[in-house]
Amino acid sequence: MINQTITDKDGVKRYLITLNVNGDARTVLVKGNAILANVLRDELNLTGTKKGCELGDCGSCTVLLEGKPVDSCMVLAIEADGLEIITIEGVAVNSKLDAIQEAMINFAAVQCGYCTPGMVLSAKALLTRNPHPTEPEVREAISGNLCRCTGYVHIVEAVLAASEGRLSPGEHEYPREEGGSI
Amino acid sequence: MSRQYSVIGHSVPRIDGPEKVTGAAKYTLDLKFPNMLYGKILTSPHAHARIISIDTSEAEALPGVKAVITHKDVPTLKYGLSPARWDENIFCSDKVRFVGDKVAAVACLDEPTCYKALKLIKVEYEVLPAVLNFLTAMDDGQPRVHDEYEKNINTEIHQEFGDVAKAFAEAYHVRTDTFIGQRTYQCPIEPHTAVSMWDNGKLTVYSSTQSPHYFQYYIAREFGMDIGDVRIIKTFVGGGFGGKLEPTGLEFAGAVLAKLTSRPVRMFYDRAEMFAHNRGRHAQQMEITTGVDKNGKILVAHANFKMDGGAYTSLGIASAYYAGALLPMTYEFDNYKFDMYRVYTNLPACGAQRGHGAPQPKYAFESHLDNVAKDLGIDPMDIRILNARRENTVTPNDFKVNSCHMRECLERARVMSGWDEKKKNRTPGRGIGVSTGSFVTGAGYPIYRTDMPHASAFIRVNEDGTAATLYTGAVEIGQGSDTVLCQMAAEAMGYRYEHMKIIAADTEITPLDFGAYASRQTYMSGTAVKLAGEEVKKQILDMASAMLSLPADDLDCDDGIVFSKSREGKSLTFQEVARKHFVLKGPLLGKGVYTPPRLGGTFKGAPVGTSPAYSFGAQVGEVQIDAETGEISVLGIWDVHDCGKVINPRLLHGQVHGALFMGMGESVWEEVLFDDKGRILNPELANYRMLSAMDMPPIESEVLDTYEPTGPWGAKEVGEGATNPTLGMFSNAIFDAMGVRVNSLPLTYEKVWRALKEKREREAAERG
Amino acid sequence: MYMPDFEYHAPKTLTDACVLLDELGERAIVLGGGSDILHKLKNGHLTPEHVVSLKHMTQLREVRHEEGRGIVVGALVTPHGVYTSPLLQERYLSLPMASHEMGNPQVRNRGTVGGNICNASPLADLPPLLIALNASVKVVQYAGERIVPLEDFICGPGKTLIKRDEILAEVIIPDQPATGSTYIKFGLRKAGALAVVGVAVAVTVKDNVLVDVRIVMGAVAPVPMRAKDAEALLRGQTITDALLEQAADSAAAECKPITDLRGSAEYRRELIRVLTKRALRKAIDEGHV
Repeated sequence: MINQTITDKDGVKRYLITLNVNGDARTVLVKGNAILANVLRDELNLTGTKKGCELGDCGSCTVLLEGKPVDSCMVLAIEADGLEIITIEGVAVNSKLDAIQEAMINFAAVQCGYCTPGMVLSAKALLTRNPHPTEPEVREAISGNLCRCTGYVHIVEAVLAASEGRLSPGEHEYPREEGGSI
Repeated sequence: MSRQYSVIGHSVPRIDGPEKVTGAAKYTLDLKFPNMLYGKILTSPHAHARIISIDTSEAEALPGVKAVITHKDVPTLKYGLSPARWDENIFCSDKVRFVGDKVAAVACLDEPTCYKALKLIKVEYEVLPAVLNFLTAMDDGQPRVHDEYEKNINTEIHQEFGDVAKAFAEAYHVRTDTFIGQRTYQCPIEPHTAVSMWDNGKLTVYSSTQSPHYFQYYIAREFGMDIGDVRIIKTFVGGGFGGKLEPTGLEFAGAVLAKLTSRPVRMFYDRAEMFAHNRGRHAQQMEITTGVDKNGKILVAHANFKMDGGAYTSLGIASAYYAGALLPMTYEFDNYKFDMYRVYTNLPACGAQRGHGAPQPKYAFESHLDNVAKDLGIDPMDIRILNARRENTVTPNDFKVNSCHMRECLERARVMSGWDEKKKNRTPGRGIGVSTGSFVTGAGYPIYRTDMPHASAFIRVNEDGTAATLYTGAVEIGQGSDTVLCQMAAEAMGYRYEHMKIIAADTEITPLDFGAYASRQTYMSGTAVKLAGEEVKKQILDMASAMLSLPADDLDCDDGIVFSKSREGKSLTFQEVARKHFVLKGPLLGKGVYTPPRLGGTFKGAPVGTSPAYSFGAQVGEVQIDAETGEISVLGIWDVHDCGKVINPRLLHGQVHGALFMGMGESVWEEVLFDDKGRILNPELANYRMLSAMDMPPIESEVLDTYEPTGPWGAKEVGEGATNPTLGMFSNAIFDAMGVRVNSLPLTYEKVWRALKEKREREAAERG
Repeated sequence: MYMPDFEYHAPKTLTDACVLLDELGERAIVLGGGSDILHKLKNGHLTPEHVVSLKHMTQLREVRHEEGRGIVVGALVTPHGVYTSPLLQERYLSLPMASHEMGNPQVRNRGTVGGNICNASPLADLPPLLIALNASVKVVQYAGERIVPLEDFICGPGKTLIKRDEILAEVIIPDQPATGSTYIKFGLRKAGALAVVGVAVAVTVKDNVLVDVRIVMGAVAPVPMRAKDAEALLRGQTITDALLEQAADSAAAECKPITDLRGSAEYRRELIRVLTKRALRKAIDEGHV
C-alpha cells in the first residue's frame, strides 16, 4: 500500500493512512511522528483510550492491534496503517456489554475507571485466546495494566467469573459483611 | 447483629459503572471546546536558583503561540492550602525553589507548538546552593529555602499530655528506636488536567479535582473574585489520594491564559511533571520512646519526629500535626509527648497522601512495639490486645472515641491468619507480622477557617416520581461516593436505588461540600444526604396520609412503596404519591446539612486529628524471605476493620484492597529518588515501582459488625484506615522472618539482604 | 508528550530499505517495533530527519530451521512470537521462557528480537541467553551482508557494530550439542521489571561431566559479559555442588557491576553469585536447552 504524501508550504509531510478501528475503515491525514493514542483520541474522538504515562509503562492506553494488546502511546499511527484496531469503544456490541464489562461492574472491579478501558481490552484478548484461564494466567494478562485503586482483587475475580459465564456474584458472597464480630 | 435494610448494606452495582467500562466517561483530558488552546508550563531545571532574567520574545514570535506569561502577568498574591502558611506563587519571580518550580506558561494552537515555544523561552539563572537533605536542613550554614523562615523550619510542634516524666520514671522498661521513612507519591493513573474559560467576567474551570469547593475558594481568592463568579466543575477523576486537593499551576496559569486569549485553554501535567508537582508523602525521621509496665502495658510514649516538607507548605502543617495526633489512637495510654519539625528543602513540595502523615509514624510505632514485645518475651499479638483502645474513651490529646472495636479486630485477625499455629510451627525464612491502624472519619475542622457547614445536599424528586436526583458537592474520585450517597438517599426516602440520579461537584449547581479527603464523605456528606432524604420522605408520608386517610405516623415508606404499618393492604407507590404532591404543591424537594460538633481540646494544634468518629483495623501479613537475595514474597494478608455500618460491602472491600495495595507498595517497592542536584531520578513508572497484578498476594478482608452511634446508620470511614497499618505490618513480618529489623522504608530486597548478611557476620564473629 | 518531527518511509522490500538507508545515511534511523525508539524520540535522545520502517518486511517475522545454519529468528519476531514459537519451544525452550520475562504483555507484543539487540541496553534480557547459545546476527546493507557473532556485535551500552546504512535481519542460533540452558532474571517486581542482574547459562553434560559451559551475565557490565574464568573452572569437570559454588564465586569476582537506583554494586555482585549457582543447577537438572 502506497501512502499518499502531502507536503505543505513549510515542507512538512503528512501521510494519508487508513486505520481499521472497531470494524470501520477510518482515513486520516497524519504526520510521521503522530502517535496512535493521540490520533484515536483527537482525530477520531475515541477518548476511551487513556493516557497515563505516555511511555508504555502503565497500560491505560492499551488497544488491541491485530488482536494483541499494545500500548498505543508507543505506536506511531502510521505504523498501524492498514491494521485492525479494537478500542474500548468497540467492545460492547450495539449497547450490549461484553461479559467482562458486565462482570467488572457487578464485582466492583471498577473504582476511578481510568485503567478500566485498558484492563478490559487486556482481559478480552486473554479470554479470546484462552477461554478458561487460571488465576495466574489472568494476573499475567493484566500485568501490563497498572491500577492504583483496586489492588486488582476484584478485577481478577471479575475476569475469572466472566470466563465461567458468571456475570455477577451471588447474594451472599461476603459471608462476614454483616457478621463475624466476637 | 445489625438491621437489614432495603438499599444500604447491599453491594449494588456502581452508578457510574457502565460509563467507565465502555470508555464513555469523560475525564478532563477528554474534553474539547470550540476554539480551544493548549497550554504548558515551563519549569525550573535547578533546585535552588535566583532568576536573573526571562526573555519570552522568541517564544511569542513563534507561529501558533497565542500567549506567553510569567510572574509579570499574574497576581503575585501568595497562595497555598494551609492558611497559616501561604508561601507559593503562580510563577516564581525572585527565585526558584525546586526542580519543577513554575516559571512561565504558554498557550498555543496545539501541543507540539507548546513544546517548541517552551524551548524558546530564555531564562537566566544564578544557581544557588540547595538544601537537599531534610535531616540537616536546620543546621547552621544551610541556605534558606524561604528567606522569611529561619533554619528552614516550616512547622514546629511541641505537645505534652499527662505527666510524661513521671511515667517514664515509673516504667518497668523504657526503649527508644529510630526509624526513617521515604518520599512516595500518590501516582494516580490520571494526570492532573484543567480546562479554563471565561465568559463575561465569570471563570469556569473543569478540573481533575478532589474538592471543587477548595479550588473555587482559593482561585477566587487569588484573582480577587467573588466565589459566585468562579465555577469549578469536576469531570470524572482518575484517582486523587490526596494529591488533587489543591489548585495547581494548571488552574491558576490556565485561568490567566484563558483570560488573555479569550479562549478555553486546556493544560495537563505529563507523568514526569506529576512527580515534580508532587504533594505526596513526607519522608519522616521518627524517634519513638515508650515506657511499659512489666506486662507490656504502655504507660507513656514520646514521638520525636522530623519531616521533609519540600519547597512549599501545601497541606503540610496538617500533615505534621497528623503525624503525632493519631499515635495514641489504637492503644490506650495517658501520657504522651510529641515533638515535630517540618522543614523546608529544595525538593518537590509534600502534602497529604492517603493516611495523611500517619502511616510512617504507625510503621515506626508498630515496629517499636514488636521490639518491646521481644524484649519482654511477649507475643506481638498479645501485647496489642493488652493495649487495645476501648470504646467511649478519650485519648490523651483530647480526641473523643465513641465506637471502637480494636480488640475484636485483633482477635479476629489472629484467627483468620492462623497466627498462633504459624508462630508455633515455624518455617525457615517465613514470618508473620501484625499491626493496627486507625483514621479519622472526616476532619473536625475545615482546611481554612470558616463557619460554613461541612456538607450540604438536596434531593429533587421529579414530577411523577419515576426519578429522584441527588445534588451533592461530594466528589467521586473512584472511592464510590456517588453510588453510596445514592444508596443513602434512596434508603432515607424509602425509594429505589435503580431510579436514583446524581449531579455532583459542580459549584454552580451543587451545594457546598468540602470534598473528598480525610475520609469524610460517607459520614459527613452522607449525613446531609440522609437528612435530605428524610425530609422528602416526611412530605411523601404527609401526602400519602391525605390520600389514604390514615395518620402519617401510621405510614412508612420502603423500597418505593408507601404502606400502613398497622393495616394490611393499604398502600400506594412512591410514584403515585410523588405525582400527587407535584400536582398539589409543586416540586418535591428535600435538603440536608452537616456540621460536626465542636471537637477536641484547646491546646495548640488541637483541631488536627479531631473527628466525629474513628475507624480501627488490624492487619496481619505473612512473608517468605529468600535468604540469599533478600527477595520478599508476600504469602497472604488479612485485614479486619471496624468501620461501622457498611453501606456497600463490595465497594468497601475494594477500598480496603486499594488502601492496602498502596501501603504495600510504600512498604517495599516505592520510593522517589533524587540525584545530588535535586533532580528526580525516577519520575516514571518503570523505576517508580507500583505493584502489578502479578505482585499482589491473596488478600482476605473482613469487616466486623459494628455501629458508630454518631454516623449515618452507624457508618464510619475505611478509605484511608487500611493504609495505616500496612507499613508496620510488613516491617514486623520481615522482622519475624529474619530476626533482624530494617529500620528504614522502603524495606527493599537489598536492605533485607544486607541485614541478613550483617546478622550472619555478627553470628560468625560471636562463634569464632 | 513531545515528539520530534521526521519524515517517514516504509519501503516494500529489504533491498529498497537498504537503498534508502544508503542514500539517507546519518540522517535516518531504522524502526522495528518502536518500543525503544519511541522512548528515545520522546525523551529527545534521538532527533532523526528520517525514520525508515521495516513494517512491510514480513520475511523478518519468521522463525525457521535452516539445514546447515540452525534456527533462524527474523529480527522482527516479537517476544510474544518467540514465546509461542513451536520450533523454539521444542529446540530452545529457555528462549521462550526468557522472552516471557520481558516487560509485560503489551511490551512483548510490540518489542522485537532485533530491537532488543540493537538497542543494546546492558539490562536487555535476550542477548545474554542468545550469546550463551552461540548466536550470530546477519546484518544486511546495499552492498551485501555479513554475519557477526552476537558476542562481538554488542560492543557498548547502546552500541552495536551496526552501521547507519545497515539492517539487522536475522538472529541465527546454530545447532549445537548443548543439553541444557536457562536464563534467570532478578527484577524488583514481577512484571514490568528491569533486570537488576541476569544470568544465562548453556551447558553440555555427559555422564555428569560438564563437557562445555557458557555463562553470560547481564546488567553487570557495559555489555553482556561472559564469565570466562568461571567457565574455565567448570569445563571438563565432574559436577558437584562445591564445583558450582566455586564457579559462582568466580563469576561474581569477574563481573563489573555499578551502583544505581536499582541496586548497589555489592548487591549485584552477590546476586550474580547466587544466580550463577542457581542457573547452572537449573540448566544441568532440567535437561532442556
